[in-house]
Amino acid sequence: MRFIVVRRTKPHPYIKPLIIALSLITGMGLVAILLTLIGAHPFAILVTIAYSFTTPQVVKDMLLLTMLGCALLISFKGAVWNVGAEGQLYTAIIPIVWITLYVAPWSAGSPPHQPILIILASITAAAVFGAMWGAVAGALRAYVGIDEVPVTLIMNYVAYYVVNILVLGPFRGRYVYGYIRTDDLPDAYKLGINVVMQRTGNAFLDGFLEFIRVVVYYAYWVLAAALVALLTWVVFNHTTIGLRIKILGSNPEFLRAVGVDVRKTTVMALALSGLLVGVASAIYYLGDLTRLTYPIQAQTAGYGYLAILVVWLSMLELPLIPLSAYIVSSLRNAGRNMQIFGLGGLESTLVLLGSVLLTYSALRFLTEYEVRVVK
Amino acid sequence: MGLEQYAVNTLVELAPVFATFYLVALGHSLFEKAGLLDLAIDGVFFMGSSIAVRAAVASGSPVVGTVVTAIAVMFLGIALAFLMTSLPISHGAIGLSMMFLGYGIGIIVGYPARLEVGSIAMYAYSEGESMAIMAISIAIGVAVHIILKYTKLGASIRACGENPHAAASLGVNVLLTRLIAGAAGFAIMGAGSSFFTLAWQKFWDPKSYTLGYGWLAFTVALTSGRHPMILVPISLIFGGLTFYRVKIGVMYGVEKDVANLVPFIAALIAMLVCYATKLKNILAPPTSLGKVYYREERTV
Repeated sequence: MRFIVVRRTKPHPYIKPLIIALSLITGMGLVAILLTLIGAHPFAILVTIAYSFTTPQVVKDMLLLTMLGCALLISFKGAVWNVGAEGQLYTAIIPIVWITLYVAPWSAGSPPHQPILIILASITAAAVFGAMWGAVAGALRAYVGIDEVPVTLIMNYVAYYVVNILVLGPFRGRYVYGYIRTDDLPDAYKLGINVVMQRTGNAFLDGFLEFIRVVVYYAYWVLAAALVALLTWVVFNHTTIGLRIKILGSNPEFLRAVGVDVRKTTVMALALSGLLVGVASAIYYLGDLTRLTYPIQAQTAGYGYLAILVVWLSMLELPLIPLSAYIVSSLRNAGRNMQIFGLGGLESTLVLLGSVLLTYSALRFLTEYEVRVVK
Repeated sequence: MGLEQYAVNTLVELAPVFATFYLVALGHSLFEKAGLLDLAIDGVFFMGSSIAVRAAVASGSPVVGTVVTAIAVMFLGIALAFLMTSLPISHGAIGLSMMFLGYGIGIIVGYPARLEVGSIAMYAYSEGESMAIMAISIAIGVAVHIILKYTKLGASIRACGENPHAAASLGVNVLLTRLIAGAAGFAIMGAGSSFFTLAWQKFWDPKSYTLGYGWLAFTVALTSGRHPMILVPISLIFGGLTFYRVKIGVMYGVEKDVANLVPFIAALIAMLVCYATKLKNILAPPTSLGKVYYREERTV
């Protein structure tokens, strides 16, 4: 008896959700086994993971990862593997810090329309910076032939240290109580709607109200995530560059044959991807981060890397990005909760992510192939 | 101190750094020579350095730490080579997933050792052993070079990297060849990563997975065309750059983060020089590197 791999003659109707479900189960199982081996209770681990799918903390991560997932989808569709979203995320914050704290700091005498202008300027500048940072890797791939994966990864470290240099030097805050970090973003520029809700004493109702409060707080993020998703859809379905990027991913020779500049398309794929990462970065900084703390590589939540998982889990399908972002946010939340409940630390998040990704990557071929047993 | 003594001291200082970069890049090169793309390198690097600490603390011997790491990482190499060759899956996706898993497993394995002993200095290699480590590393490199260039196995490995379909039709067992390359490559990578904690740093920190030294080793391999002998000077350059960056920074009043940035900028420049010049033809990667190996005859 042996196993053989053959191409499917017709697609399996349920294979995609099956692969995603199997990847999640394997990931959770592996974490449970590993943490059990070092003394944690497997039931407590699984309950914590399940609980993490229902807490309001996933809202913020889900919205941010939806934006980043859409951003990466643009390059991934073109088989241009932008794994540098982490670096693009932080370099895009540089102009925002400069604008909000040094170019137009908020003061009591500032005109009332200033916050809107500054927020728009910050988002624009972040998008431009993200696009430029992405385009560097795109140009190196397109015109010099260097694989974009190591370049974008190494550029992540470059971004960390550049941001560190700025936080230690020109961006170091004056009101930071001895910490090495930037000053906090002025309240006028913060994106968030605070709602105070009274507790009812009913756990279920309070939990639901907390969800509402969090969603309302992140209302701008909801809007931004919807716009980014819409923009991604428009790019792929109604623009020439979107069509070219899709063909770049499936048949670059065809593009060459019809006279399209493949190099330019490659650069555009990474630049557009970086541009959307920049937009997400601005929303993240203005709505949640609000300051940079030194050293950035020790403070980062790793959203740029998590977004890779989001876009892979979505099977490069735009409608699945929010669902995928929800799953990844919940897994990250699970890692955090395990840390809080003393069941593990950072390692549980990394193992969870790694094993889900690994299983998914190993099984993804089943969408096009099937394994048969022959005697 | 005479110039000769200064050179010897420098070499002794650099030996563990060199051995780390050289062996990790060498193992990575051997793996990739067989056409298997290795994007797991940074995770494997951290995981290996953690296993080494745990094994050294448990046994009381750094040599055991290195051997156990080489064996453990070897099995991982076999598993990756098997998956990448027998299934039509993306080498890049598998490698990057393994990178995350490697970080997580590395913390799980290394943390108890740190809790147990605090400092690992007494379980590490002594300074007197540095030159021996360097010599053994170069000897391994020479052996790999001879195998790749002058033996049938080496020819098979190179053939699998250039065109596995053609190699198979000439009678090469592609899966077996890649399993051997995967086992040997990752064992060498494992040994190299063990020197990071047991000979160079002499401490272990869970946050060291953010250092990105695995990617520097990746660049070392890439810019030396995965050639075992060209790897020697390139590893020395990158090793020196990484090791002395802080000292140079202090000497010239350069900020720590500017110094930390230097090896990564150097890595990008090195890649640019290799790919933008005629060196590209000499140092070209294997033609089938990272390509899915799928034989249509498997179809029934």
